[in-house]
Amino acid sequence: MKDSRYLLAAALQGLVLAFGIALGAQAADAGSKDLVLRGDAVCTTCHDAELTPHVLEIGKTTMGTTADPRTPSCVSCHGESLKHREGDGMPDRTFGKNSQTPIEARNEACLTCHKGGERIHWTRSTHQNNQVACTSCHQVHTQHDKVRDRKTQTEVCFTCHKTQRAQMRRQSRHPIAEGKVVCSDCHNPHGTSGPNLLRRDSVNDTCYTCHMEKRGPFLHSHEPVQEDCTICHNPHGSSNPTLLKVRLPFLCQTCHEPSRHPGTMPDPTAVSGALPFNTGGPNFSTNKTVIMGRGCVQCHSNVHGSNTPNNDAAAFRH
Amino acid sequence: MKASRKDPFILTAVAAALLLAFGPAMAQDDVAQLTKPESTVNVGVGYVDKDNQRFGQYNGLTDKGAYGIIDFSLNKRDDSTGTWFTLQGRNLGFKDPELRLEQKRQGDWGYYIDYTRIPRYEPYTVNTGLQGLGTTSQTVVPITPGAGADYQLNTKRDRWTLGLEKAYRAWNVQVRYRNEEKDGSQLFSQGRFGNYPRFLAKPIDYTMQQIDVMGDYGMDRLQLRVGYYGSIFDNHNKMLMASPDTSPNYFGETSLPPNNQSHQFYVTGGYNFTADTRGDFKLSYGRATQNDSWAIAPPAGVTATSLDGRVDTTLMQAGVSGRATPKLTWRADLRYENRDDKTPQVVNAGLESYQPRSIERTTGKVVGHYSLPNGFRLTGDITYDQKKREIPEATVVDFRETVNEATYRVELRRAVSPTVTGAVSVAHSKRDGSDWLDNRLDDPTFNIIAPIYTADRDRNTVRLVVNWMPSDPMSVNFRADQSRDDYTGRNNETNGFDVGPREGKASNYSVDASYVFSESVTGTAWLSHGDTRMSEATCQERLGVAPNNGGTCQPGDNAWVGDVKNVADNFGLGLRAKATSRIDVGADVTYAKVRDEYGLSALNATAAGNLASQGPLPDITTKVTTLKLYGKYALDRMSGVRVDWIYDQYQTDDWTWSRWIYADGTTVLQDPDQKVNFVGVTYYYKFH
Repeated sequence: MKDSRYLLAAALQGLVLAFGIALGAQAADAGSKDLVLRGDAVCTTCHDAELTPHVLEIGKTTMGTTADPRTPSCVSCHGESLKHREGDGMPDRTFGKNSQTPIEARNEACLTCHKGGERIHWTRSTHQNNQVACTSCHQVHTQHDKVRDRKTQTEVCFTCHKTQRAQMRRQSRHPIAEGKVVCSDCHNPHGTSGPNLLRRDSVNDTCYTCHMEKRGPFLHSHEPVQEDCTICHNPHGSSNPTLLKVRLPFLCQTCHEPSRHPGTMPDPTAVSGALPFNTGGPNFSTNKTVIMGRGCVQCHSNVHGSNTPNNDAAAFRH
Repeated sequence: MKASRKDPFILTAVAAALLLAFGPAMAQDDVAQLTKPESTVNVGVGYVDKDNQRFGQYNGLTDKGAYGIIDFSLNKRDDSTGTWFTLQGRNLGFKDPELRLEQKRQGDWGYYIDYTRIPRYEPYTVNTGLQGLGTTSQTVVPITPGAGADYQLNTKRDRWTLGLEKAYRAWNVQVRYRNEEKDGSQLFSQGRFGNYPRFLAKPIDYTMQQIDVMGDYGMDRLQLRVGYYGSIFDNHNKMLMASPDTSPNYFGETSLPPNNQSHQFYVTGGYNFTADTRGDFKLSYGRATQNDSWAIAPPAGVTATSLDGRVDTTLMQAGVSGRATPKLTWRADLRYENRDDKTPQVVNAGLESYQPRSIERTTGKVVGHYSLPNGFRLTGDITYDQKKREIPEATVVDFRETVNEATYRVELRRAVSPTVTGAVSVAHSKRDGSDWLDNRLDDPTFNIIAPIYTADRDRNTVRLVVNWMPSDPMSVNFRADQSRDDYTGRNNETNGFDVGPREGKASNYSVDASYVFSESVTGTAWLSHGDTRMSEATCQERLGVAPNNGGTCQPGDNAWVGDVKNVADNFGLGLRAKATSRIDVGADVTYAKVRDEYGLSALNATAAGNLASQGPLPDITTKVTTLKLYGKYALDRMSGVRVDWIYDQYQTDDWTWSRWIYADGTTVLQDPDQKVNFVGVTYYYKFH
């Protein structure tokens, strides 16, 4: 008796399902049951609010703006998927983490429409060369695409860029965690004509977008400053003040001759020579306090360049 | 569960009836919920339990007390026209607010106005007698250390951006204008050889403007962008005047950054020659100028009223990528950039002349990818980079006109696999250049250091990436990076040692894992270890011995090696759980421990003696621990309450400030153990 009741229940469930599919198929045929995108009934007959609600969330995005004739239908990205519609296998193109669709084919689905503009140099991009799929970073079926939100973008980038994830947790850093400076402020992940996917044509031009007071040119210029900020600084974070790659004076000693005081060996015991106040005092270098405080730039305070018409300023002291 | 097993028929029948009766109506509601843009409003209050220097460095939560929490995101779309209206606000009760208003008809027109404030607090407390702090006229008043007034110097950037967009046929034009005001004070000081530096505060009052105009042309095969980018810097403070002026020990004036501007025109584009062959290019011409008048009178006889600085930059880049066979793809790229410094080399009565510095850079790259069986892909690339520098003379450091670097890289990657993907790559690069030019400051004495950015260098790097998905709920990622640089100096080794940069090493290892425990519980964990080292040698002359004592470090000089090491360990744990249908909870812990070592070693007996008397430089260790917990309770489908707790601890034994006192008695200190709690309670409401 029990078995027959289960069988009957199963049959009823089957009937309901079959009836639903039949209704859906009829609707699809009639072309009047699109839920979100133009012509989506062919998919949403099955992928409806009950079965796969997240699929419909594409309606919340710009892709779901059907008044814009450029917006896609399901098959624009996933293909006609005739076999899948007959219940056989996966759609022609899938984008999930277990997708077996070649990455070029996945990206082609996006680049068919999203070409030009920021993506002109996609074929030059390291991401393209390393076979990164668009959907490795972007979430399409959601209103909140993490990588396009300044607050959450780094979560996506740090999935691969682990060294930078560690660096941005050091003492000296840009306000990346606060979302005030984010990866895409400096880099265009879709490819650029510059080095390291930088938005501007050079490292310095990129840095000048926020630090244009360093651009000069100055009457007394410092050669590496004009050439490449990253000779001295690590923009992703450092344990040294002002994002310096190496603490002063060691950094300065990698270029400057040892004559006079640049070759001074730092001395941790030479700490109390600052008194008496403001009356000269012993030679700075002989006291070896050069590692204290701001190091060399305590005196060479205009290290990025000085425009003072004064020869003493050639050493960036004023 | 038992009931359902007892009465499957009744329950199924009821379910079927309900589904048939109400399914369509419910589905319609569901569909609306799922497809209409959602808006949210969060209102609440937060409390910081302690004054701090680090926790609030960039968010402004430096003071103990209560703060309002006001965030919103209003998103509306007129479905009949495709017009979006967006109004977003973040951190409106904090010191780093953000506000953005945007309206656009998709594919037609759009505009936005964006405002953000970026505060930055120096993570130190300055105790000083300095008067006039924040102004361009400051008076140094000596104090007994600790007896001055306390300040936490800070700057803030107020940034406004206006964007416009209009599409017309195949064209899309975008204009973006940004105005940024930066003001405040930064750590500064002044000193001269023979004197300890005295403390000053750099007054900041900048206006920075940027304008981007871009016209995009898009057809099936051809895409073009023509554009203009301009940036203008205005400093409202020209000079910092400090008193007393005791030149030449302490001088009265220090120049501040001069006004400057830059303008660039460019055209960039791409063309699909065939389905598999695409070319891309960029041409640009830019001019940067700086002709701000001298902030102080120049020496007598100098007729120029400004530097009249001008640097013209030309860029040409072109590349082609294609598919030679179904398995072989390739790319070739050439880039030429010419930074032409046209600033006149003004030679005036006794004033150091400007040293124009032009740089030509040519970079060529060829890449090939070959598909192997079983989802493997082999990549090889060769990059050649040449820099030609031109200056009238080497002044302070040595110089070479041409530097060449060739890099060879091979990579094997498995791109698609059910469980394991990854890549291993090996690269070698070699850098050398033209003959060295001696610097005039030390010629004919010290010309022995090859600057690190132009020195001969061999670089070897190895990278390994493995992604492993042993089961559906679990994924693991491992990544290892290693690199080693070997520098060659100027081979002026005459007394048993060669000075300058010697060696650099860097390694970073990380493991990430995520696990889906159930439909309602997920966890993540990551661990990383980094180790960066740099070794260099130099020497210190003996006082009283003339510098021209033979052209290099002498046996009696203090010759030593600095081995700088940075070791960082980080980990993070995250957990997200849906405890009940109404309650969501989450937790994140991150920990960073960074140790800096400054190893000193002697290259001769003099240095050995000095090291024995002074002792080693202590390490500096810094630890940052952050715990974030949240809980969300849904009052109904569209509203609820969220509680956040953040615990942040910053510990350091940085002795470089704690042992330092300025000549005027100023001290700059930080609390070596900072613990801060932040608690926030927020009511959220969502709507369509």
